Amino acid sequence: MMTESWLKKILQSGHFAVTAECGPPKGADPEVVKNKGRILKGHVDSVNVTDNQTGVVRLSSLAACALLLAEGLDPVLQMVTRDRNRIALQSDVLGASALGIRNILCLSGDHQSFGNQPQAKGVFDIDSIQFVQTVRKMRDAGEVIGGDKLTQPPQLFIGAVENPFADPLKYRASRLATKAEAGAEFIQTQCIYNIKRFKEWMGLVRDTGVDGKVYILGGITPLKSARMAEYMANNVAGMDLPEEIIKRMKSVPQKEQRQEGMKIAVETIQELQAIKGVRGVHIMAIEWEDAVPQIVQEAKLSPRPQV
Amino acid sequence: MITAERKPITEIKEMIAPYKKVLVVGCGSCVAECASGGEKEVGLLASALRMDAKASGKDVEIKEMTLDRQCVYEFIDQLTDVIDQYDVILSLGCGAGVQAVAEVFPKALILPALNTTFIGQTKEAGLWIENCRGCGDCKLGYFAAVCPITRCAKGLFNGPCGGSKADRCEVDPDVPCAWQLIVTRLEDMGRLDLLCKVHPPADWSKQQGKGPRKIYREDQRS
Amino acid sequence: MDQKSAGLNITIFFCQQIDPEQDVNRRALEKELGRRIRFFPLPCSGRTDSLHIMRALESGADKVYILTCPEGACHYREGNIRARKRIAYTQDLIAEIGLERERVELIALPAGTSSTIDKLARELLAREATLSPSPVRGKLN
Repeated sequence: MMTESWLKKILQSGHFAVTAECGPPKGADPEVVKNKGRILKGHVDSVNVTDNQTGVVRLSSLAACALLLAEGLDPVLQMVTRDRNRIALQSDVLGASALGIRNILCLSGDHQSFGNQPQAKGVFDIDSIQFVQTVRKMRDAGEVIGGDKLTQPPQLFIGAVENPFADPLKYRASRLATKAEAGAEFIQTQCIYNIKRFKEWMGLVRDTGVDGKVYILGGITPLKSARMAEYMANNVAGMDLPEEIIKRMKSVPQKEQRQEGMKIAVETIQELQAIKGVRGVHIMAIEWEDAVPQIVQEAKLSPRPQV
Repeated sequence: MITAERKPITEIKEMIAPYKKVLVVGCGSCVAECASGGEKEVGLLASALRMDAKASGKDVEIKEMTLDRQCVYEFIDQLTDVIDQYDVILSLGCGAGVQAVAEVFPKALILPALNTTFIGQTKEAGLWIENCRGCGDCKLGYFAAVCPITRCAKGLFNGPCGGSKADRCEVDPDVPCAWQLIVTRLEDMGRLDLLCKVHPPADWSKQQGKGPRKIYREDQRS
Repeated sequence: MDQKSAGLNITIFFCQQIDPEQDVNRRALEKELGRRIRFFPLPCSGRTDSLHIMRALESGADKVYILTCPEGACHYREGNIRARKRIAYTQDLIAEIGLERERVELIALPAGTSSTIDKLARELLAREATLSPSPVRGKLN
């Protein structure tokens, strides 16, 4: 089963890629995952599955990716270094590849104190950049950390994340360069509400030339309500949600706020398409996967290309 | 120094409840520095326990003694002549001290009155902060003397993470982002080049060991 | 009933600046009440030590007062602020063994107070006795 990563093919052929996110359930029901997959299928190129996001125990990303594969989607396995040491991480990388998963997103993960297992031991044996480097070496040199040879290297398109809105701002561009050097091939960013600041960041990125080395996909999270906007602005680490957006959401009656949120998302995607160096969009519609097809359509990114 | 905090009195009372003769033993080193186990703290605890005993009509003798260090035999030896007079030793040493004393007097019951916490510095009077995790492979030279293992909540060697905002750690707004500090310091020194290369994974075997770690120096042995 | 009539043991730590003639002025009360009253002058209330308060309580004091100069008027600037923190710590400690926090009380004298330790002590003794004799006292005291 040596199918190539669909996401990679789309990006390599120069199309503006569309990826979405699928959050696994806090339970063992595979149908939940399959249903989300069915909603997204055909409307996006690939689907990320989060890995125990915010430290809350959920159906594992690896298992959910396997379920999505069976539904005919191209999953992106998100894997955090918070919960597994290098033995488990490298093992899961081999397992993912063996199952046919062809994309991996390497992250550190939200600190365990945020979730429902605050007493858990945060592993952090290696960090996200070291993890990118590790997967790259497994794939290209057929080696694990330490040099021991693999009988068959994994086949994976390797991604990492960046948050253009976290501090220190200047350093975020050079950090991207480090990730590229470590072997990252695509980047998905934290969700964008402050398009002005994002453009500034992209300017810095283009100055370093990294936009030519990694495929950058801008993150988008449609707002469901004004309250959600306020919550995110105040409670989510690393989030930049400008006052104008909150005002705009508040300016419409509650019944219409979802539509307004989708409008904002579509407008932001259209802005992204015009920024040099941005090669796609990553739509994180948390527990609102059915908003995705409409957003993709209104952003004029439907139908998805066949390559 | 090694820092520690006194256990709640209710817990200590329960530990010594069965005994009639208690010696409260302090340590003049680290725990004295962090005001938890020095001579004064021995006095405070012993006084509180004696008052409690009197108030509840309990017949118990509680005496006080402080050693310069509880983790070195030469000082622990000062207990030799008196230890038999007591049913239990309530130690205000750190975990190292409690165990060292117990090894010298294996037949005696040594109880810990403190919860040993971390290796740290006295940042200000009354404020102690952890700054070392004893990883056994010090990399401070690469990180402008800010330990990423100890001071970054995720122990990143190639930080910061996406949650760093206004130089605060996402986990606790009172905690400065170690990586913001590292980047700022290196920038001020003109040494951001130290962050260009990917810092490789750590050798955690130096911290975890195979059970308790040790240092052996033939030249120091008698 | 006031504290004097209730026969409570009173200990008073006080800042010497309050009454420079304190060693003379306190003798009358010491003669009258004997061990029921004890005076501990300090060069500054900032020198109040939790340990001293604990020892006072342990030796049978029912009530310990710490008298400080008015806020902002400390001869040594921050002594009375430090005293306040240490007293709070001592109160937490005695609370852990079930003694009332009120057994230790800090009194910052009102600005402009000009009095003698004898007068101040008598005012304190005249206060309503709200505490019973300390359980620490046992039968002998």
